Amino acid sequence: MGVVLPGVRRNLDAADEDELVRRTARGDRRAFDELYRRTSPWLAVRLRRRCADEDVVADVLQETYLAVWRAAGSFAGSATSGSAVGWLWTIAANRLVDAFRRRARHAQMPAVPLVETTAPAAEDEVMAGRVGQDLEQALLLLPAEVRQVLRAMVLDGLSVRETSLLLGVPEGTVKSRARRARIALREALS
Amino acid sequence: MTTHHPNLAVISRYAQGGTGLDDATVWTVEVHLEECADCRARLAGSTTGDTRALLDRVAAAVDRGLDESPPPARLVQAWSAARRRWLIWALAPWLGMTLTALVCAWMLESLKPGMPSLVLLLAPVAPLPGVAIAWSRRVDPAWELIAGTPGAGLMMLLRRTATVLAVIVPALALVGAGTRESPALMLLPCLACTAATIGLGGRVGVRRAAIGVGATWAAVVVLPTLVTADLPAFLQPGSVPAWALATAALAAYAATRAADYRGLSSLS
Repeated sequence: MGVVLPGVRRNLDAADEDELVRRTARGDRRAFDELYRRTSPWLAVRLRRRCADEDVVADVLQETYLAVWRAAGSFAGSATSGSAVGWLWTIAANRLVDAFRRRARHAQMPAVPLVETTAPAAEDEVMAGRVGQDLEQALLLLPAEVRQVLRAMVLDGLSVRETSLLLGVPEGTVKSRARRARIALREALS
Repeated sequence: MTTHHPNLAVISRYAQGGTGLDDATVWTVEVHLEECADCRARLAGSTTGDTRALLDRVAAAVDRGLDESPPPARLVQAWSAARRRWLIWALAPWLGMTLTALVCAWMLESLKPGMPSLVLLLAPVAPLPGVAIAWSRRVDPAWELIAGTPGAGLMMLLRRTATVLAVIVPALALVGAGTRESPALMLLPCLACTAATIGLGGRVGVRRAAIGVGATWAAVVVLPTLVTADLPAFLQPGSVPAWALATAALAAYAATRAADYRGLSSLS
C-alpha cells in the first residue's frame, strides 16, 4: 500500500464509495486500496454467511476485486450508476454462483445451514419493531429451505437459475418454494 | 431504508456468522449494511480473526493480480461515439484531394480568364469521390460490421455524405465567390449529382454509381465545353430553376431507394 501523503489520505477519507470507484476507473491504485479496506470486511462476512468453504470465499473475493479493478470504468461511465456497494455485491454474488457452478460437478458444496425456526431472542426484540411484527413472524415460521430461496432471490438479487445453482436444487423446486414464500408473506400482510 | 442502526452486539454477532441471530434480523442487518457506510466500518471493527486472516490472504493475492493486470479499461466517451457516426478518417485524404483540385481549377481559371469557368465544370462532381468512399467496403475497415448492423444503411450514408458536403459546399462557395459565376449554378448541380449517386448507389454500388455519374458528366458536359470553349445552355444562369427541380426530384428518388441499402450490393 506504500506511504500515503496526509493530504491524499484526508482526500480519500472524504470520498464515498461511488467516488472511490470513479477514481479507480482512472487507474488510481490508492483509491482502490481504500475501497478494498472499507468494503472487503463487509463482503467477506456476507459471503461467509452464504458459503462455508473458506477457500471458495477467498477465491470469490479475489475475483470480485480484480473484476472491480478491470470494470470500474463501466460503473463510472454508466449514467444511471446506482450505489457502488450494491454494484460490488452484484459482482460478488455472480462470482459466488459461478464458483458453485464450477464445483457442482465435483462435489456438493456445504452451504451454511440457516437457523432453525426459533422465537426471537430478547435482544432482538429491539429490532423487531422495525419490520412489521407479523411479517417477521411469518418469515421466521417459513421452513428453512424456503427462506434460503427467499434470501437468494430477494436479498441477493439472483435469478431462479442462479438460485438453483447456489442451493443445489432444481429450478422447479426454487419456483415452488418462492411461491410458498410469497403466499405466506401475503397472508401476513393482509 | 431506515436510519435505525443495529447495535454493536448485533453487528458483532452478525460478523461472527453461525446461528447467533435469527434470519429476520440477519436480513435487516444485511439490507442496512448495504446502505450505511458507518455500520460497514463498525462491522469491519468487529470481524473475527478468521475473517481478518482471510482478508489478508486475499489482499496479497489481489495485489499480485493487479501488478499483472492492465489499468482499468477506459470507457468510450459519448462524443467519440457521436464523432464516429458522422466521420471516418478515411474520408480525409479524399476530401483534401478534392479541395486541392478545386483550388487548382480556380487558379487556372484566374490565369486564363477567357476560358469557360473550370470551377463551374468541376463543382457538380466535387463531392462524388467523398461519397464513394463514405460507403465502401474497400476503404472502411468496419464495413463488415456496418453490413451486419440493422441501423446502418441509407441513414449512415446520408450522415457521411452530409459530412462530405459540409466540407465541399463551403469550399465551393468560397472558390465560387472568386469567379463570375452564380453560386446557385455551382451548388445545385453539385447537390443533384450527389442525390443521383445515392439514388443509383443502392442498385449498382455507391462507388460504381459515383464513377458512372462522374464519367457521364465529363463526357456530356466537360469535354464538349473544353472543345467548343463555350458553356452549354444548361449551365447558363437562366437554368437555375430547372436545376432546383432536378435536385428535388433526384433527392426524392434517392429517398425511395432506401431499401436498396439493406443489401450488400450497395457496399461495393
